[in-house]
Amino acid sequence: MKGAGIIIRKELKRVFSDRKLVFSLFILPAILMIGIYSLMGNLIKSMESDITEHISEVYIVNADDGFKQTAKNFKYEEGANVHYLTESEYASQKADLEEKILNADIELIAVFDKGFESTVSAYTKAGDAIPQVNVYYNSAENYSTQAYSVFSGLLSDYRTNLLAGRLGNLEQLNVFTQNDQLIVKEAKANNRFISMMLPYLITMLLFAGAMSVGVDAIAGEKERGTLASMLLSPVSRDAIVVGKLVSMAILSSLSAIVYAVSMIVAMSVMGSTMGDLAANGFGNVSFGPTQCLMLLAIMLVMVYLYVAIIGLLAVLAKDVKTASTYISPVYIVVIIAGMLTMFNSGKAIPTTRYAIPIYGNALAIADLCSNELTSVNFLASIGGTLLLAIIITVAVGRAFNSEKIMFNA
Amino acid sequence: MIKINNLTKIYKLGKKKMMELKTTNPEKIAVNGLSLETKEGEIFGLLGPNGAGKTTTLRCVATLLKPTDGDVTVCGYDTVKQGADVRENICFLTNEIKLDPNFSADYMFKFFGRLHGMSEEAIEARQTALFTEFGINDFKDKKIDELSTGMKQKAAIAVSLVHDPKVVIFDEPTSGLDIITARVVTDYLKKLKEEGKTVIISTHIMSEAEKLCDRIAVIINGQKACEGTLGDILEHTGADDLEEAFFRLYKEYNPEV
Repeated sequence: MKGAGIIIRKELKRVFSDRKLVFSLFILPAILMIGIYSLMGNLIKSMESDITEHISEVYIVNADDGFKQTAKNFKYEEGANVHYLTESEYASQKADLEEKILNADIELIAVFDKGFESTVSAYTKAGDAIPQVNVYYNSAENYSTQAYSVFSGLLSDYRTNLLAGRLGNLEQLNVFTQNDQLIVKEAKANNRFISMMLPYLITMLLFAGAMSVGVDAIAGEKERGTLASMLLSPVSRDAIVVGKLVSMAILSSLSAIVYAVSMIVAMSVMGSTMGDLAANGFGNVSFGPTQCLMLLAIMLVMVYLYVAIIGLLAVLAKDVKTASTYISPVYIVVIIAGMLTMFNSGKAIPTTRYAIPIYGNALAIADLCSNELTSVNFLASIGGTLLLAIIITVAVGRAFNSEKIMFNA
Repeated sequence: MIKINNLTKIYKLGKKKMMELKTTNPEKIAVNGLSLETKEGEIFGLLGPNGAGKTTTLRCVATLLKPTDGDVTVCGYDTVKQGADVRENICFLTNEIKLDPNFSADYMFKFFGRLHGMSEEAIEARQTALFTEFGINDFKDKKIDELSTGMKQKAAIAVSLVHDPKVVIFDEPTSGLDIITARVVTDYLKKLKEEGKTVIISTHIMSEAEKLCDRIAVIINGQKACEGTLGDILEHTGADDLEEAFFRLYKEYNPEV
């Protein structure tokens, strides 16, 4: 393998001596990732606070004194501009008000049956009349939905008050109480979100990283005619293949690390604006040393497979544009393989599936997050990927030796 | 030094290529039973029109292509079985093979020196000599990308000579160069010859072949039409100059023209 080291050094120098390349490969993704996530967090937060702070326009028809008293105790008028209407007032502007709800000019209309409270208190036995309240709102408007949910809370208080008046003692309604006790692995409960997203993100981002460095390193050099000058040196073709693939692997691992770190930073930035993390399944994944090594091993074989695939397609293509065309469908397959693991009902997965390259790796990472990866499944996931990567590497070596592919002869 | 023995190279054409060339024959014979031998300390020229098989022949010599039939040896090494040994002894220059535009001439020189397994001191000494010879020192730290065509060509020649090869193969040495750079290149080829190197070039420029080459092989349709010194060729064809000789040979091989 004489010469492979020299080629690796040159490839790394190529990237790290070019400020623009370093920026676009390593710095820009981090800025974008953190920027987008914190922007998203802030937007969601400001949207939520805007909705809760909005004073809604509410029209209530035939409200009895009991309701008005409840609303006062509920401090309902602090978040709503309430217009009390009589039946006749309402009848004259019904269509107009409904039009206003549709156009989001007002948020809610509630229409009590006439003599609401007297009908309630007249109730003595089954079959007696039960009064009704009609609530009109617009489910497509955030303000209206929010007004509806606040008004429902108010109605619930009103119902409780009326029941208390009818029964005297509310405990009659509590037939029994329910007490929930959780039995759960803490790791699995806390990081449901992470263990759902992480395998997908790792599978995808490692590929994106390898793609951005690999296409130029082989197809670009071929297009510019600089690969041929290397083929004219006494270094063996195999050494050139190894040098190219190893340097691509180093660079794409670095880019994956940048993505991963910025993702974690981004999520905590987003999380800090959104409140309690662990409760939403955003809790940290805590890995022991063995798990760290396992994750590293899985990621390394994945990187190896990715650079082999990209290397093969890049060498088969005659220029960068063609190479990108060849690689796009593979990228889609990789994304799908990662996504498949996101929706897992919890049914036991047979070991053979772990041996499927990429998909099996994503499964293994998901298991690793919830601390459920068995050593058999781990080895299957490593072995399957490694085998395919080696087969493809041999194919890359063949391609480098083919004059038809290298010189279009 | 270079021994080409009955070299035949047949390209298999893909469907697309066949459409481009408007042919239904899936094979194209680029070189057809070519034999020749070059000696130390001479400049040997392959003269022929475009598509005659000059480049294919040179690429076979440079181990980039494998002969379909026949064989090529360079300094006694077979280009197929002992490719690495052959590459140790040759340099191959063409307009299609270029230096990586993202690096400086200085770095490229050291990179290829290392690939040839040279020590850092040996590379340094060789660099001083060649960079002075070609006047590269002024722009050796600039990216190749930023250099003019002439500078690029000079840098490419210097880099390809890093390992002091015994055989210099040059496909169209002055193509695309201005008259001054072209002169620098041809002068250096003469100097290499004086140092006892074997130089083999391809060209379609008659005056270049006349002035530069000790011996010339006229290649037409992948076959050797005539070989010898300028005098030999003129005598063989009964022509007054090389251009006239070339056209007489061309007609002989393409009677329908």
